[in-house]
Amino acid sequence: MGNFKRLLTLVAVAAATSMTSSSLTAASSLRDGTIGYVITDLFWSVYQTEDAKQECPRGFNDGPREQFAKLYPNYKDMSVEETQLRQEIQTWHPTTEPDEFEFLAVEGDLSWGLNLDGKTAPNDFTHPDGTPGVDNEVYRSVGCIIGFRGPDGVEYIFQNKAIVDERYNRMMIELSDVDSLENDDSVTITMSRGMDRLLTDATGAQVMAGGTQRVDTRWGKSLIRQMQGSIKDSVLTTEPIDDLIIPWMNLGVPSIHLIRDMRLQLTLTQDSASGVLAGYADVDTWYKQLIRNDSTHHLSNGQISGISLYKALRKFADAYPNPESGENTAISTSLDVKLTQVFITH
Amino acid sequence: MKSLSNTARKTKPQLLGLILLVTAAVGSFVFAEDNSITLKENFRDIPTPPEFHVEATLLDGPVFANNNGKTLYKWSQHKLRNGYSGEAAGTPQCYDNVLTVTAGLMSPYPAGIKLPELDSRVSCTDLWPPVLAGDNADPVGAWTIVERQDGSKQWAFDEHPLYTSVRDRSPGDVLGGTTRRFGGDSPAKRTPIGPPTLLPPGFAVRSTFIGRLLATDKNNSVYSFDQDTATSTACTDECLSKWQPVPAPGLARAQGEWSILERSPGVKQWVFRDKPLYTYVLDQRSWGLRGTDVPGWKNVFTQVAPALPDSFTTQATIQGNVLADANGKTIYIYNCGEDSIDQLSCNHPETTQVYRLAMCGAGDPEKCLTHWPYVQAQANEKAPSESLWAIVSINPKTGRFASPGHADALRVWAYRDRPVYLYGDDEQSGDVHGGGIGEWRGQRNGLRAIWLRDDYMSGIL
Repeated sequence: MGNFKRLLTLVAVAAATSMTSSSLTAASSLRDGTIGYVITDLFWSVYQTEDAKQECPRGFNDGPREQFAKLYPNYKDMSVEETQLRQEIQTWHPTTEPDEFEFLAVEGDLSWGLNLDGKTAPNDFTHPDGTPGVDNEVYRSVGCIIGFRGPDGVEYIFQNKAIVDERYNRMMIELSDVDSLENDDSVTITMSRGMDRLLTDATGAQVMAGGTQRVDTRWGKSLIRQMQGSIKDSVLTTEPIDDLIIPWMNLGVPSIHLIRDMRLQLTLTQDSASGVLAGYADVDTWYKQLIRNDSTHHLSNGQISGISLYKALRKFADAYPNPESGENTAISTSLDVKLTQVFITH
Repeated sequence: MKSLSNTARKTKPQLLGLILLVTAAVGSFVFAEDNSITLKENFRDIPTPPEFHVEATLLDGPVFANNNGKTLYKWSQHKLRNGYSGEAAGTPQCYDNVLTVTAGLMSPYPAGIKLPELDSRVSCTDLWPPVLAGDNADPVGAWTIVERQDGSKQWAFDEHPLYTSVRDRSPGDVLGGTTRRFGGDSPAKRTPIGPPTLLPPGFAVRSTFIGRLLATDKNNSVYSFDQDTATSTACTDECLSKWQPVPAPGLARAQGEWSILERSPGVKQWVFRDKPLYTYVLDQRSWGLRGTDVPGWKNVFTQVAPALPDSFTTQATIQGNVLADANGKTIYIYNCGEDSIDQLSCNHPETTQVYRLAMCGAGDPEKCLTHWPYVQAQANEKAPSESLWAIVSINPKTGRFASPGHADALRVWAYRDRPVYLYGDDEQSGDVHGGGIGEWRGQRNGLRAIWLRDDYMSGIL
């Protein structure tokens, strides 16, 4: 056989193999109108330009280490109570009173996320695709803190890594009543927690489609949520639900995020899904999840001052006012989410 | 607390039972057994100086103690964020000088900050008296003698200098430290020493909150089945797809609490306390408990945990089961260790309360009572006998033990001599919002929940 014919044969075999594989996947992922996905990446949506000049023209915030150096240059003449514990008290008993440091919030106009309230207000962001009215005040708070920025921010790395590593965090979505993954005007979405490790490739780093997860109906029963949605041009959009509890243990402390008015916008394929999970995060829960899992040392590695960040979160909180004080208790947010197809057993 | 009888206090060779040599391929081990010993967990007899003996404990297995019944502790070197603390082999570091500044071992705070309450601060040896060796003391086996800075001699075990704890009051007390594991950011803790647990090769035992848990040396928990007996098994056929018998070597022989079941010709299985042992294929974590969800199956302990107070409850959370008070509120232990070279703990009512008050109430004791309420004992409630739980009297203004007759004193539950707490923001049963509250995820100046069962982070360990 000549080289050309051999090449043609190889191409034909490869194409046939590819089609067969694709067809098999397509045939096997959506079964009886049902398809499941498991979350493999989850982190706060942070719109970044290359040099950060657009969103953070005045640079990045100081962290605990820098703040300590500025506050206590003569620490050797001071006591633990006057220095270390003073900082820890402010971390664990945060207030909205101003501190000695100017907080650098995001100043750009662009942000990932969704229009949560259906309105376009002056302080809303614009989506990079031009859609106005994006509500994402968590981004405004954390966007100029290097620990929350990819690819090497400490929170960006470790909070996300924990999503894969910790079964406690194993949240899944299951679509049922699905006629087509391209267009379907009514589907049911169930969120629950899986119990099992993820199926990965031989490196252990890449999560593979086709794994199996059992639903945690015992410890995870209170995490189960159901919602309605539709699929248009392979994009799933759900109706908001009252709340979603996201189990999120980063460094060994089982904790949660509470997202009110939670909704999903995901691009679906047979093997994966990606998009955003958005809503209003309960501020105190958000903050406690951060500082319970990450000590001041860990926060220092990302120049994250819990003391300053809490004040910003409260300042930019934009929903769910406390009936007595009128202060908002929740803050608009968006999380970038990626999912991998998985077979969910019941 | 239980202790060995006088006869059994001396670990004499005649107390040894039969000696079993397994094959050279699996190593050799010696069973030591004496039916007069009231230990819950048997141990391997090793050569020991006459001034030391073995004491039974309620949750830490057998420990070595001196002639006064005081448990012996070591202070192993522990890697912290900015260096090491504890003692390198053969090198005592605990002396009678009172330290005055922080060590800077835990970032981001630097070294050289003045430690709190210097006017009443104690030295390392005030809390941890060294176990000194007499002039005629002779090293034996793993027991050696090291020299302190002043030329005095100190006993060491496996080259770790030995101390007693001023917290221990009675023989078998282990109030200075525990054999339970501690996290990497915890202080360099003192841990009790003891003889090796009497186990065949291929097994391991760990202290957990719920008992001394038995596993294979690959960290797979072992289980027993209610329907099995020492000489017969009900787990056959399909059962074996989920439960794997723990195999015994061909030349292994029965000894004491351990025996052998020959499931089929030539196929032997280890039996402990008349129950054949298995591992569970669906355990996804080391030292797992998931197999107990299957009716009839139980984890195996060499020593079970002592009784809990009657009023306590168990509550389900999204993580697992947690210990709770009568109202279902999660109960927390307070951990505290200073950033000093001597790593003194600060979690006891007799130590400085500066750290705790800062965390629980920003320095205000009144706020502490709201944010971290003590777990108060009910009016007529009594502590269970032979328990690590006690009811103590606390001065709520200071956090220290109350003096007798103190009018405002609170009767609160204490675990291992330290008060336990609730967390003010836990609103309902199953809330565990206080876990990890405080410095270093609750490991150095903060709260950790007491887990009875979890499938996600080995919380019982």
